Amino acid sequence: MDRVTSWIARIVLVFLYIPIIAVIVYSFNSASGGYQWKGFTLQWYGELFSDTALLQTLLISVIVGVLAASVATVIGLLAAIGMVRYPFKGSAAVLGAIALPLIVPEIVLGVALLSVFSFLHIPLGILTLVLGHLIITLPLTTLILIGAFRTLDPSLIEASADLGCTPWGTFTRVLFPLLRSSILASWLLAFTVSLGNIVISTFVSGVGSTTMPLRVYSLLKSGLTPELNALGTLLIVLTFVVVLSVGIQQMRRILASPSGAAAAPPDTTTTTSISTTR
Amino acid sequence: MKRTTALAAVAAVAALGLTACSSGDGGSSSAASTQLNIYAWADEIPKTVISAFEKETGIKVTVDTFDANETMISKLAAGGSGYDIVEPSQYAVQQLVGQELIEKLDHSKITGLDNLGAKFADPSYDKGNEYSVPWIWGTTGLAYNQQCTGKAIDSWDALWDPAYKGKIYMLDNMLSAYIPALQYKGLKATTTSEKDIEKGTQALLDQKPLLAGYNSSNYTDLLASGDACVAEAYGGSGIAKATAANPDVKFVIPKEGGTLWVDGFAIAKDAPHADAAYKWLNFTLKPEIAAMATNDGGSASANEAAKATITDKSLLENVAVYPSDEQLAKSEFIVDPGKALTFFQQGWTKVKAS
Repeated sequence: MDRVTSWIARIVLVFLYIPIIAVIVYSFNSASGGYQWKGFTLQWYGELFSDTALLQTLLISVIVGVLAASVATVIGLLAAIGMVRYPFKGSAAVLGAIALPLIVPEIVLGVALLSVFSFLHIPLGILTLVLGHLIITLPLTTLILIGAFRTLDPSLIEASADLGCTPWGTFTRVLFPLLRSSILASWLLAFTVSLGNIVISTFVSGVGSTTMPLRVYSLLKSGLTPELNALGTLLIVLTFVVVLSVGIQQMRRILASPSGAAAAPPDTTTTTSISTTR
Repeated sequence: MKRTTALAAVAAVAALGLTACSSGDGGSSSAASTQLNIYAWADEIPKTVISAFEKETGIKVTVDTFDANETMISKLAAGGSGYDIVEPSQYAVQQLVGQELIEKLDHSKITGLDNLGAKFADPSYDKGNEYSVPWIWGTTGLAYNQQCTGKAIDSWDALWDPAYKGKIYMLDNMLSAYIPALQYKGLKATTTSEKDIEKGTQALLDQKPLLAGYNSSNYTDLLASGDACVAEAYGGSGIAKATAANPDVKFVIPKEGGTLWVDGFAIAKDAPHADAAYKWLNFTLKPEIAAMATNDGGSASANEAAKATITDKSLLENVAVYPSDEQLAKSEFIVDPGKALTFFQQGWTKVKAS
């Protein structure tokens, strides 16, 4: 039985990774279309780096992703502290309201946002993109950070107050270090979601703010080129580097601290969940 | 504890403020515009055209791309989009006019309309070019892999031929899919009759068991590899590249007619830089600029005078790019079906669900 499950696991892994490997392999294929291997080339990377229109949209995506993920993480952290540390009447309702975008279809959100922005005469652009992405990333960061915050021992905070820490000192010297990996995880998840979003971006992007996924999607009419495989490969490599460096950093921390073994399990699970969702 | 909450509020406001900073390029209108915002199909306006325009006029051009006419229409319909020039397809011009989302063109400000080809000078969807200036055009026809079919084909019948079962692809687009279905049944692709559309739906339902799938993205690759025998295909740079790369891949305008599409420039209602938009229309009507659409973009230009400056003359004889007038004798523009759209939608739902 164990052998069967281990084989199933292996097959699933292969199934998950074949598309990723295919993208990387085809980005070096000299055929300009089709799936036959016609020899090794770096041509598509050259074309990618000279395609200013595509690179411009990538820059927009990264700017929007960084802003949306940062704001969502900050608000999510504050919401988590507020709701777990100082539960108030109706905090469950607030949490429900924050999580609502998870179950509302994105297309509905997109249409609604477009009408709201045009009603308020907010010009569509990076601001509206960030606000739109905030709606879908905020539930993720809030839920992750609430989960992380609940696993913290509340006596740690009390102890730091007992030892004369101001609330701000408690935050910077106790809470933040303890939550650092969860904060990083929620930031990365929010960034990923923002970077890949198409539906909401379709409605809230404006003059000069076409995002990378929108650009790729609009290329469907004239045909996809291997240049996009090159772009995909670079993004995959970037992701691996980020996940790997986060992982290495955490391993170092675990190995360095004698009591690290206890803190290790939650840390590693959060990072692995990132790498599988990617 | 009060202080923590106050700090939290300040931090949140500061974070929101940060995001506001980066949206400075909204673009307010002024007397002589130095800016032009274009909303267009990806890859239909070559970079060379943009940079030539910027160099000549000193106007900074921003191009955004959309994936479907409907996306573009919904943006304009919401109002305050900020775009000056949009690039709708022929039926979308009609819809935009109907919703009053594009300006009627002031022909006294435009020179060079007489450069347009006869088909585009007074098209059925926009009489007298009142609202739009055609830019590039193409066809909807039939592509096949000759090694797989074993013979030359020239009729939509091939898409219903059981001999190619499991190797037939149709375009994944409602109005495009109805073109072969209606013409196969001997009907007009521009019909708005409920009965005709029902017959088209029946043809698509009959065809479904033979299909490998609906595909609008990589059918050229499938044809090249032989995974597709016959496929409904858009003429243009994509299929031209595929036919050039693999001599077995052929593109024909079927004898039943096929159809024409054309993407042109129109000026959005309340365009913030209308004067720059007129400069763009005049600029892109110049034959040597219009020729760049073919030389650099690989598409057929609607500008007849541009043909003289096209460097690769073989494209003018390539049926995938510039089909001849004889080949197009029976081809029509697909126009906005108006109220008949619901019949198409109902039928298409049935086809997709079967």
